[in-house]
Amino acid sequence: MMDRSNFVLCGLGGQGILFMTKVLSETALNKGYNVMCAETHGMAQRGGSVVSHLRLGDVKGSLVKNGSAHFLLSLDEVEGYRNLPFLSKGARMYINADPAKGLRVEVTGYLEKKEILYRSVQASAIAREAGAPMATNLALLGYFAAFGNGPLSQEDLRNTTERISPDRFKENNLRIFDAGFERGLEGKER
Amino acid sequence: MTRQEIFLGNGAVALGLVESGCQVVTSYPGTPSSEILPEVIRLVKTEDLDTYVEWSTNEKVALDNAFAAAIAGKRAACCMKQVGLNVAADSLMSAAYQGTVGGLVIISCDDPGPHSSQTEQDTRLMARLAKVPVFDPSHPQEAREMVGTAMAVSEEFRVPVILRPAIRVCHARQNIAFESIEKNENKASFKKDPQRWAATPRFRLVLHGELNKKLTGIAKKFEGLSQYNFHNLEPDKTYPLGIIAGGVPYAVIHDILAEEGREDVPVLKIGTPFPFPEGLSDEFMSACEKVLVIEETDTLIEYLLGERDKVLGRRSGHVPSEGELVPQVIHRFLNQVLRELNLAGLNADPDEEAGDIVNNLQLPVRKPTLCAGCPHRAAFFAIRKTRPKAIFTSDIGCYTLGINLGAVDTCLDMGAAITMASGFYHAYDQDGAAQPVVATIGDSTFFHSGTAGLLNAVYNGARFILVILDNLTTAMTGMQPTPALGIRADGSEGKAVPLERAVAGCGVDFIEIVDPYNLKHMTSTLKKAAEYIREPEGGIAVIISRHPCLIAYKEEAGPRKKFTITEDCTECNFCLDRFECPALYHDEELGHTNIDASLCSGCGVCVEVCPKGAIVEVEGE
Repeated sequence: MMDRSNFVLCGLGGQGILFMTKVLSETALNKGYNVMCAETHGMAQRGGSVVSHLRLGDVKGSLVKNGSAHFLLSLDEVEGYRNLPFLSKGARMYINADPAKGLRVEVTGYLEKKEILYRSVQASAIAREAGAPMATNLALLGYFAAFGNGPLSQEDLRNTTERISPDRFKENNLRIFDAGFERGLEGKER
Repeated sequence: MTRQEIFLGNGAVALGLVESGCQVVTSYPGTPSSEILPEVIRLVKTEDLDTYVEWSTNEKVALDNAFAAAIAGKRAACCMKQVGLNVAADSLMSAAYQGTVGGLVIISCDDPGPHSSQTEQDTRLMARLAKVPVFDPSHPQEAREMVGTAMAVSEEFRVPVILRPAIRVCHARQNIAFESIEKNENKASFKKDPQRWAATPRFRLVLHGELNKKLTGIAKKFEGLSQYNFHNLEPDKTYPLGIIAGGVPYAVIHDILAEEGREDVPVLKIGTPFPFPEGLSDEFMSACEKVLVIEETDTLIEYLLGERDKVLGRRSGHVPSEGELVPQVIHRFLNQVLRELNLAGLNADPDEEAGDIVNNLQLPVRKPTLCAGCPHRAAFFAIRKTRPKAIFTSDIGCYTLGINLGAVDTCLDMGAAITMASGFYHAYDQDGAAQPVVATIGDSTFFHSGTAGLLNAVYNGARFILVILDNLTTAMTGMQPTPALGIRADGSEGKAVPLERAVAGCGVDFIEIVDPYNLKHMTSTLKKAAEYIREPEGGIAVIISRHPCLIAYKEEAGPRKKFTITEDCTECNFCLDRFECPALYHDEELGHTNIDASLCSGCGVCVEVCPKGAIVEVEGE
């Protein structure tokens, strides 16, 4: 990872974007990075589109500029498309969508042109099958962790998840993180 | 001992408050300011402090309370969103003249966008109007430091001081290191001075003169406040273009220039836009042939500059006059200015192609909706059904989303559901027309600004139905308690003020309390209320629609009932169009409407809504 990294995390209100952002930012802080995030609160949280920005390194602004995100993690297919303009050339995109159906061709054409690595994973299904549909965010995070994205390793992200999850969700969260990670290892092979 | 934590911007403000020895913090919640007080409370607990905190009933009440503490010699603060400062404006204008004894910092959070507000108004202009100094932080860490400076300036010059963090400061998160915090042992001691604290107009003139003198002194101080107001000019060098920026746009422009390696474009950062550090800006401008001014949300710095022919900004049409100045917007107009001046353009290009692709995808607009199982939805459905021809005045809160059910026609400001209902009633009544009006207002909004309007409506003989949507919390802003609950900001016990007693105290004779989940009872009560307002001795009918917010009280909610849709569903779409519950959707495979079990709260209100009786409870689950 370079000295500055920009993440965009998106989805719908109630999907746990803020928690996912927290796991990433706390992990980065432990690794000695300065962190800066921007969150969505208020009216937009009532089932509307939600976006979090996370910037690592020495920056003053909390917002990621269009064309400068290194990573896009989307808990919803449509919201992933909506935030496409944030992606930089050579970025990586992980999206909660059905890999069998594939992303829309207009989008994949653009991603390929921009040399963006993209992976779809049924994060909701992973979470649902593990009995905790509310933990889709952790399934996607575990999946992301499998790709070895710089200093935010699977181990670090998992440790943070364990540390900051409320006790009653801890076991579930870790199980689903692990399930996402396993799926990610398979996805990496492709 | 030094600790490091990732603070929410509002948490950084709270940290600044407790570090500065602030002894009293009052607030009324409103995005993006709502988390400041809870963060103060968290720090009071972890650092073992004794700061007095309260959720006040509105922003004016909050400011008056903090002001009294400050003139008793304590350090005090009050926190609100920018439109809340309108409510507190009466207090602010007068407090500026009277001055303070202890420090008084008013934190008013702006919302460029707007993301969650009625207007994009700029608190800095309110500060200029009130003639009080204002600090404009660029990021959480700076907001934390500025609180301390603002408190000290307030105490030194005996004047209230405003801190204006914008939403990208309030809802940013940043790692901040901090030390342990000492208690401020200062005791209250109010010294009587009626010519100041109860000044009549003759003395107000004197106080105005004093305030002007204070501002001159503060302006001088701000010139030397080099941690917040600074530039990076090299001596004896001139530049074709310089940038003057404050607040969040400074953070953005700083990052863009750093990433682009543009040392040829100097920046003047303004952290205290009023009183304006003129000397510093004159120095900067004399070294630049042109200056581009970037500020949010409205225009202040641009108007305060000399040498107008050098200035580019909103007046020259380069900077948009509405909307948030997000990085790509600033990037675009900066690039345009650079090109117009025949200077090298920016390297990075946030290309438009992705934006065009997204537009062509015609993605569904995800408008906010009331939650599945929200009791307000049931109330709105009943209102729309029983009073279809009414004008529906409403108010500020989650329930503004009743617009999706066709049961909200107006939303002006806090409390206007009631005042506009009486306004509509009299406007039609004057013509001899009987136009039904149904007003909806939330419980917290009613306590904030409802009572004065209701009392007025009763007194002046208006007739309408007022439905108070009582979900036993302030839901939109994050579940703060209301006075009816008897729970105070820090969780301690307070004296509960029941809503119905407040309503009765306003002179209302018709008060019914209904659980809106019982649609039959809700509709029959609405009909009874409609009859009452037509009776010769009738007046305003108040229905308190009471059911706990599902999010605030999810722990207390019992086991969920399960529902299904039978083959009796004829796809009439009545439930989708008129009830718009997010758990109901058109199922392509099934060929009719279905229930999304992961979203359904099990409230069962839709059973009554379906005209075909096709929604039934699943027994034995």
